[in-house]
Amino acid sequence: MDIKREDIVHLADLSNFSLSDAEIGNLSKNLQDIIKYISQLDELNTDSVEPTYQVFEMENVWRDDEIVEQEANREALLTLTKEEKDNQIKVPKVL
Amino acid sequence: MRYIPTIGIECHVQLCTKTKLFSEVDNDARGKEPNSCVSPVDYALPGMLPRLNGTAVKFAILAGRAMNCEINAYSRFDRKHYFYPDSPKGYQITQFYQPIIGAGYVELPSGNKIRIEHAHLEGDAGKLTHFDNYSLVDLNRVDTPLIEIVSMPDIHSAKEAHDYCKELWRLMCYAGVTNGDLYNGNMRFDVNTSLAPEGSKTLGTRTEIKNLNSFRSVERAAEYEIARQTKVLEAGEKVIQQTLGWSDATGKTSPQRSKEVAADYRYMPEPDLPPIRLSSEFIEAESAKLPLMPNNYRALFHEIIKPDTLEVLLDYPELMHKLNEINKEYVKSISNLFTSVLLAEEKSAEYLNDLPAAKDLEELAEMNAKKELSSTAAKEVFLRLFDPQMKGRGAKTIAKELGLIQENDLGALEEIVDAVLAKPETQKAQDDFRNGEEKVIGFLVGQVMKESHGKANPSAVQEILRKKLA
Repeated sequence: MDIKREDIVHLADLSNFSLSDAEIGNLSKNLQDIIKYISQLDELNTDSVEPTYQVFEMENVWRDDEIVEQEANREALLTLTKEEKDNQIKVPKVL
Repeated sequence: MRYIPTIGIECHVQLCTKTKLFSEVDNDARGKEPNSCVSPVDYALPGMLPRLNGTAVKFAILAGRAMNCEINAYSRFDRKHYFYPDSPKGYQITQFYQPIIGAGYVELPSGNKIRIEHAHLEGDAGKLTHFDNYSLVDLNRVDTPLIEIVSMPDIHSAKEAHDYCKELWRLMCYAGVTNGDLYNGNMRFDVNTSLAPEGSKTLGTRTEIKNLNSFRSVERAAEYEIARQTKVLEAGEKVIQQTLGWSDATGKTSPQRSKEVAADYRYMPEPDLPPIRLSSEFIEAESAKLPLMPNNYRALFHEIIKPDTLEVLLDYPELMHKLNEINKEYVKSISNLFTSVLLAEEKSAEYLNDLPAAKDLEELAEMNAKKELSSTAAKEVFLRLFDPQMKGRGAKTIAKELGLIQENDLGALEEIVDAVLAKPETQKAQDDFRNGEEKVIGFLVGQVMKESHGKANPSAVQEILRKKLA
């Protein structure tokens, strides 16, 4: 599979990254290498193998529907954000 | 050429669990400060592990069964990626490949069946408020549990779209999985509409109207969109596949800028959440908790309550459950009282939360049947049964205390009638009646009612009067 510059630009766009030309070049090569490495798996015949969605083989890990007081309160969490206003997270205008 | 509209609807239902879908914080943010119902999981801080709320799974079973759906023994979660400030994770946890609820159908009051393609569990997004040059993010709603219900394109008019949404709302309210508060966005509808020439085997190009939050908006928006697309097609042009917004104020749909390049959500299995596997015993045990549904009540009461009235009453599950507790012979008179007193005066919201005991309602209906109460008095006693000060005392006691028991004792009534007939001011009316002036009987009955302080039974009074004046 060939990773083109447009693919990197598209992926960066989806994640809202701005990349320099040099970074786009490097990332194209990196991603190409990663995919090539993973592609070794294509040699195996997996026709009769169920896809693995979860490696721990656990099922039904549910919790009770009860409110638990959080150690991290609103103020503590808001200090992690870049900017806040009126107890909300302030972000550049979207939409 | 005649065009046939085809409509499919996606509906998001917010579940009324105590906590969120993946974190142990308060799920009910009504009237609470922004960002006060959040945890590090909702903030998607590195290393935070989502943990599935078991009640949300049980609610999904109830919701599914309310729509006659298969419940899938095996289901799991996926990540749906998109970059937007309403979702700190950068993805929504949803069930794309293996949803918990399979195929089923919703039967409308008209008898038409709308098939359900599937329904799945997912987390809601946060709330954005937009200002001139910035936006504010409130994460209280992040990962409120949602069930997204996807219908098949079985709907063919705006009215039917309305009826489907309303029936869905009722089903979810009866199942007890949502607060059903549309004003606060507890249920939101996306309406997909396309038009095809009559007889055509293929569907036309569809548009999607996003985020409608009332049945009326669904109907109006679908109506508008059908008319708009008809015009486009009749002009020989093509309908463009696009996402639309609806404005209640202008009564128009308009193209929306989409959040993300279409269909590039890069779904992948959610590695943090082990899959759900349900035994048939577990599914049956949970399904058994479903109370009677609107269609059960339609079957039970269609001979007792007029269809139009029944459809109004069906909006109130608690009221229907109460009617079902009452002796069937009294259901008609009690349902009439509910309709004429509570629903007519729009007291429903405050009053219907705490209904009188079935035995009190039966006692009232019994007095009514024996004509011990006038219709006005019956309404008054009925309202008192909701009064925290009075309720629990019983309808009979309340009626006595208020002096509302109607006088049916013929001996006692005759005495009052005689007294009235002896009064000089009634002489002229008596003469007029004897001379054939039928309508003065009303005046005389009124005089007797006054003398009895409103307790006399008017039809009994009239009978006695007619006998005496014959």
